[in-house]
Amino acid sequence: MPPMTLLQTIVMGLIQIVAVLIVVFIMVPLLTFAERKVIGYAQVRLGATRTASGRKGFTASMNRGMWAMGKVPVLSFFRGLPVFIADAVKLITKEDIIPAKADRAVFTLAPILSVVAAFGVFAAIAYYPGVMFYMPKNWPLIGGLPFNGAIADVNVGLLFILGLASVGVYGIVLGAWASNSKYPLLGGLRSAAQIVSYEVPLTLSLLPAVILAGTLNFKNMSVILATGQGMSPLAVIPLFIGFFVYLTCGFAETNRVPFDLPEAETELVAGFHTEYSGMKFGFFYLAEYANMIVVSCLATAFFFGGYYLLPFGLQRIIPASVPFLGQPSFLFFMAKVSLILFAFIWVRATLPRYRYDQLMEVGWKYLIPLTLVNLFIAAVIRYAF
Amino acid sequence: MFKSEELEINLGPQHPSTHGVLRVKLRLDGEVVVACTPVIGYLHRGVEKICENKTFFQGQVWTDRMDYVAAISNNLGWVEGVEKLFGIEAPRRARYIRTMLTEMNRIASHLLWLATHALDIGAMTVFLYAFRERELLLDLFEAFCGARLTTTAFRIGGLREDLPPGFIKQARAFQEVFPDRLEEYETLLSENRIWKKRTVGVARINAEDCIALGVTGPVLRAAGVPYDIRKAFPSAAYAEMDFEIPTRPEADTYARYLVRLAEMRQSHRIIQQCLDGLPEGPVMAKIPKILKSEVNEVYHAIEAPKGELGYYFVGEKGGLNPYRMHVRAPSFVNLQALPKMIEGRLLADVIAAIGTLDVVLGEIDR
Repeated sequence: MPPMTLLQTIVMGLIQIVAVLIVVFIMVPLLTFAERKVIGYAQVRLGATRTASGRKGFTASMNRGMWAMGKVPVLSFFRGLPVFIADAVKLITKEDIIPAKADRAVFTLAPILSVVAAFGVFAAIAYYPGVMFYMPKNWPLIGGLPFNGAIADVNVGLLFILGLASVGVYGIVLGAWASNSKYPLLGGLRSAAQIVSYEVPLTLSLLPAVILAGTLNFKNMSVILATGQGMSPLAVIPLFIGFFVYLTCGFAETNRVPFDLPEAETELVAGFHTEYSGMKFGFFYLAEYANMIVVSCLATAFFFGGYYLLPFGLQRIIPASVPFLGQPSFLFFMAKVSLILFAFIWVRATLPRYRYDQLMEVGWKYLIPLTLVNLFIAAVIRYAF
Repeated sequence: MFKSEELEINLGPQHPSTHGVLRVKLRLDGEVVVACTPVIGYLHRGVEKICENKTFFQGQVWTDRMDYVAAISNNLGWVEGVEKLFGIEAPRRARYIRTMLTEMNRIASHLLWLATHALDIGAMTVFLYAFRERELLLDLFEAFCGARLTTTAFRIGGLREDLPPGFIKQARAFQEVFPDRLEEYETLLSENRIWKKRTVGVARINAEDCIALGVTGPVLRAAGVPYDIRKAFPSAAYAEMDFEIPTRPEADTYARYLVRLAEMRQSHRIIQQCLDGLPEGPVMAKIPKILKSEVNEVYHAIEAPKGELGYYFVGEKGGLNPYRMHVRAPSFVNLQALPKMIEGRLLADVIAAIGTLDVVLGEIDR
C-alpha cells in the first residue's frame, strides 16, 4: 500500500475524531440514563419513565394495559430515554449567568479547559489493536485506507493520557476561584487537594502495568498485559491489586461517590460549579462523565484484559486458535467498560461520602504505601521470573 | 506577604442540608469550624400567641404545624395538657389508640430522620428505603383521620371516632414487615466502614453538658442518661406498656443512630401490645360543649420523638382560651447543643451534627 498523502492523513484523522466524538457524545447521555435507571432500581423506584410520546401511540397503550394488569410495563423502562435530549435542550437554552463579581475570562475558560482535557484523552485510547476496518475501495480520496482502533497511536500514550487528565483539575480550581464566591472556593480547594493527592497513587498504580509490559504505548500495553506474552504467571498479583487501587483513585479523580467532596451536595451546595449555569455547567457535567469513561477505558485496557475475554493477563489459558473467545474484539472492550461504569453507578447508590481529612488519610496512608508495595512486587516479578 | 484570615460563611437558610430554614453562621479556618452561631426565626408564625386567641378545641390544629413530621405527638401533648387543666379523663380505649398512633408517629419521625441524616452524609439509598416504610405509616394516619401530615388526630376527652374498619389489619401488616425493613437499613449502614468513619466520635456531647443545656430525647439517651418521659411521668397508656429505654454511653453520632434504631424497635413493640390488648369501650368521655377555664396553670410534658415536648397552660376565670400558652419544643432546646458539638471540628461534621440533632424548624421557630 502506498504511504498516505498529507491530505489523506488529515481527512482520515478527522473521520476518526468525529467517529470517536460521536460515540462519546452518545455514551455520555446513555450513561446519565443508565445512572438514573440503575440508581432508581437500587432504590426501589423506577427512575425516569415519562418523557416519550404522549397518551397516544403503541407504547403508550401497551404501557396502560400493563399498568391495568398491575404490572410494571417493560416498555416504560425505555420511556425515560429521551430525557437526555430534554437535558441537552435545557442546558443549551438556559440563560448563561456570569456573576457580577466573577472573573469573566477565567470563568469562561474553566469549563472549556475541563471539557477539552476530558475529551482530548480519547485521542490516545486504542479501542481495538490494529485496524478495525478499511474504507470502501470505490470512495474517492480515502478509498481503501485503514480505519485504526485509535485516533493517534502515540508511543508514550500513557504519559499523554496522564498529562492531559491532570490538566482537568485546573478547570475545576480556576472555575471555583473565578466564581468569587465562598462555597465554590471551598469546593475548589477541596478538589485541588484531592485530585493532586490522588494523582500520586493513580500514577503509581499504573506503573506496575508499565513495568510488566515494558512499553508506554497504549495499544501494545493492553495487548501484552491481556495475553501475558513474556510475562510470568505471577503477574496476576500486581495486576489484580493495581486494578482495585486504580479504580479507587479513579473514583477520586472523577469526583464520584464516595469521594465526591468537591461537589458535596449536602455540604457545599454544588461545590465548584455552584455559580455555573447553562452550557457552562453542562461542560463540567460532560467532563465528569467523559472522565468516568476514560477511567473505565484505562482500567479495562491495562488491568481488565482489554480487548480479550479474560482479565489480569489470564488470557493465555485460552489459545489464540479458539474462534471469537481467543481473539481480540471491540465487543469485549465495550462490555468491560460498561461493567466498570456500572460499578461507578452501583457504588454511588450504596456508599456514603468520606470526610475531607479521612479522604486524605485514605490516599496518603493506605493507597500510596499499597501502590509502592505493588510496584515492588511487579519489579521483582519482572526481574526474577 | 500572604495574610490568612478566617472565612465567614452562611450555612442556610437556603441550604440543602439544614432541614428547612435553619441558618448557621460559621467562621471557618480552612475547613475547621472556629465559631458557630445558629440563627433562627425564619419560620416564626407566633403559634403560641395565636393559640391564646383560639379556644381550647381550635388550638390543637396549630400544634400540627409545629413539628410537622410528628404532628400526632404534638396533638397528644396538647390534648392531654388541656385534659389535665380541666380534670377530664379519656376512656381507656381512647388512651390505647392514642398510644398506638403516637408510637407510629415516632417511627415515622425517626424514619424521616434516618432518611435525611443518611442523605446528608451521602448514603442516598437509605433515604428512599426509609420513605417507603414511612409511606405505610402515612397511609395508616390517612385511614384514621383523613390527613397524612397535619393530622389533628385526637379530641379533648378522647377521639372523634373509633378506628375505621380494616385499620387493625393494615396496622398488623405494617407490624409484619417493619422488623425486616429495619434490618435492611442496618445492613446498609451499621457496619459500613465509611458510615462509621463519618459518625463514630463525631459531634460528641456528654451527659453533663446535655443536662446543663436542657437537651432531652435520643440525644440525651445516647449520652447514657435513661430519661424518658414515657417511663418517668407516664401518660396515655404508657404505664401499662412493657418496653425498654435504649441508651448508649458513647454520646456520639453513631450512638444516637443506634439509640434511634433501638427506639423504633421499642415503638414497634408498644404498637404490638396496643394492637393485642386493645380494650373495648367508648372512645370519648362526656365533656361539656364549651370549656371555660378557672385561674389555674398546668405543665404537661410528653416524650416526643425529638425529646421532651411540654405544654404550659395558664387559665383565667371563665376564659374560653388559654390566658397564656407556651411550648417547650425539644428541637429548640436541643439546637443549643450545636455549637458545643462542632466547634473545632470540620465543616462536614456540621452537617452530621445538624442531622443527628434531628431538628424541625417548624418547631424551633413556632
